[in-house]
Amino acid sequence: MSAGEGRTVAELLDDSDGLAREALLDMSADRALGMVRGWPQLMQSAAELWAILPPGPTVSPNGDPIAILAAMGRAVDRSVAAGHWPGRGPRNEAWEQIASNFEQAKRLLQRQVRSEAPDGRIGLTTAKTQILHALYVAAHATTVALGGYDRGLQDRLEVGARRRQPLVERPTALEVESVGGMIARFDAIEQLAAGSLAARRINAADQPATGRRRPTMRLEAALAAWEIHAYRTLANQPEPADLVRVSRVQALIATTTTVVCEAAARRDEIDAGVIKRLTPALEQAQLAWSRSARRWAELTTPASRTDQALVEAAGHLRAAVRGAVANQSGWATPDQIAGRIDLPATVMTLHRSLLASVELANITREIAADHPGLAAPARVIAMRAQGEAEVAIEQGETRFEGVRWVTPHQIAANQVIPLPEPARRGLVNAATDVAAATNQAVAAAAHVRPIEQSPRAGADGARRGGRAATEREISVRHPNSGGRPR
Amino acid sequence: MDEHAMDVDTAETLAGVVRLTRQAAVLAWAAADRARAGSSGQLFALGVDLAADQARHLVPDGTEIDGPVPVCDEPAGLLRSAELLLRRLAPLAASDAVDDLRATVADLVWEANTGVSG
Repeated sequence: MSAGEGRTVAELLDDSDGLAREALLDMSADRALGMVRGWPQLMQSAAELWAILPPGPTVSPNGDPIAILAAMGRAVDRSVAAGHWPGRGPRNEAWEQIASNFEQAKRLLQRQVRSEAPDGRIGLTTAKTQILHALYVAAHATTVALGGYDRGLQDRLEVGARRRQPLVERPTALEVESVGGMIARFDAIEQLAAGSLAARRINAADQPATGRRRPTMRLEAALAAWEIHAYRTLANQPEPADLVRVSRVQALIATTTTVVCEAAARRDEIDAGVIKRLTPALEQAQLAWSRSARRWAELTTPASRTDQALVEAAGHLRAAVRGAVANQSGWATPDQIAGRIDLPATVMTLHRSLLASVELANITREIAADHPGLAAPARVIAMRAQGEAEVAIEQGETRFEGVRWVTPHQIAANQVIPLPEPARRGLVNAATDVAAATNQAVAAAAHVRPIEQSPRAGADGARRGGRAATEREISVRHPNSGGRPR
Repeated sequence: MDEHAMDVDTAETLAGVVRLTRQAAVLAWAAADRARAGSSGQLFALGVDLAADQARHLVPDGTEIDGPVPVCDEPAGLLRSAELLLRRLAPLAASDAVDDLRATVADLVWEANTGVSG
């Protein structure tokens, strides 16, 4: 790679990796806020650099991990821009420098492509691994910093209660909850990056798509396409009908994960002990998504339309799931499933999808809490708002006492009106349950991996779930040295 | 299909298909939700829901979708009615989208009759 602006592409990527590692070693929790704010820019520049690198021979654009990571980055950006914790403010300097490195690397590569430099593509296949590794370490560092910040909040809460400090001087419950939610989101981003990195090392995607590999890849591509469309739809003024569709499909994904993991366990392809913990967690996630779907469905009207791209993506995913794990009488048997798909590879694909569902659960909760365009028929609002208001009043909330949420005229015409605050509470609670259940499923799935991979430290050995960021240790090794991602 | 060029009868027939498939979806989801967690009925119910979405996209803006809820207590019957409506429609409004929808609904009738609906 030729020099440009003083440094080569390889040097810029090495520097980015080094910056991410340094950030990990600096344990000050105060950086957490800037890291969250700086993440979307870092992710965006990584995605733009990735886009000009040559694609893998068999990887469909929809199966590209960077597309999902970029969508998750945009979701964090929208969340922060909308005023959710940590809100606007200074960004982490290291993340800005990495983003700048990625942008400079992109410019250098674009120049090389234009000049058709003979060495322009040397090392570009490893460049993707380096980008993923830097993202993985940076996400991990952010999760660790957030974990430290969370512990600081808990300490302040404890001290505040012990010393009977005024409430205004203590962290709010909302802040504590928001930090927990953000940890779960970065946990998912980190695990997705780690899984993608491991997949590149195993290089399974470069194998020809034959036999069981074909339906496996079909399911993988359909899941990836679904996730991207779900993010896009939810980011773009979603209607309740879209939320219904997302929730129902996420419930189906949770069930499919159960079916595939159980088949893999029966065939001794993954640890059966893990399945005992994972199955109930996945069932809870499925039930929580289903309850959420029913709540959103109450807000739809006869005229409602689901986003067409979302419908198509859901259709492809349903067809892929049917082809992989269903037959005429219901779910296929473990042997039938094993004959159709590569079970270990599909388990890992579904595990990655589970991580994306954490993000979708959090986005759903944000939409329920403050999406200004949410509206519903007056009769449903009257019923739900009254019920939720009564619950809130019983809990000591006085603002809702004596308030009429809907006029008699609106009820008579069943007019579609904006959702008042109490009506949102039920949706928020349902979405909170989804986020909690999904987090639990991710935590239970943390140790799911094909049996032949289990004994070694693991190509994705850093994959962990829940809020265990504080327990993590990542060895400092070069991304191409063949050990665990870091 | 050019929604703007659609005649009123065709639009109303498609609106009827929307009502039938939506009610079939309601019943299918109720059955799936009643069953234990992990019911394969989800797969069928999602398919019916998607068919309803597909039908809804064929109905031009301004067409009244609301109407009496079809009376039938099983999704298969509602889907068969939807398929019959679409068969009647197809020669008049032959379009790829209507053909696709008819094929989708026919597949779902088959699924409902062969037990995939859980």
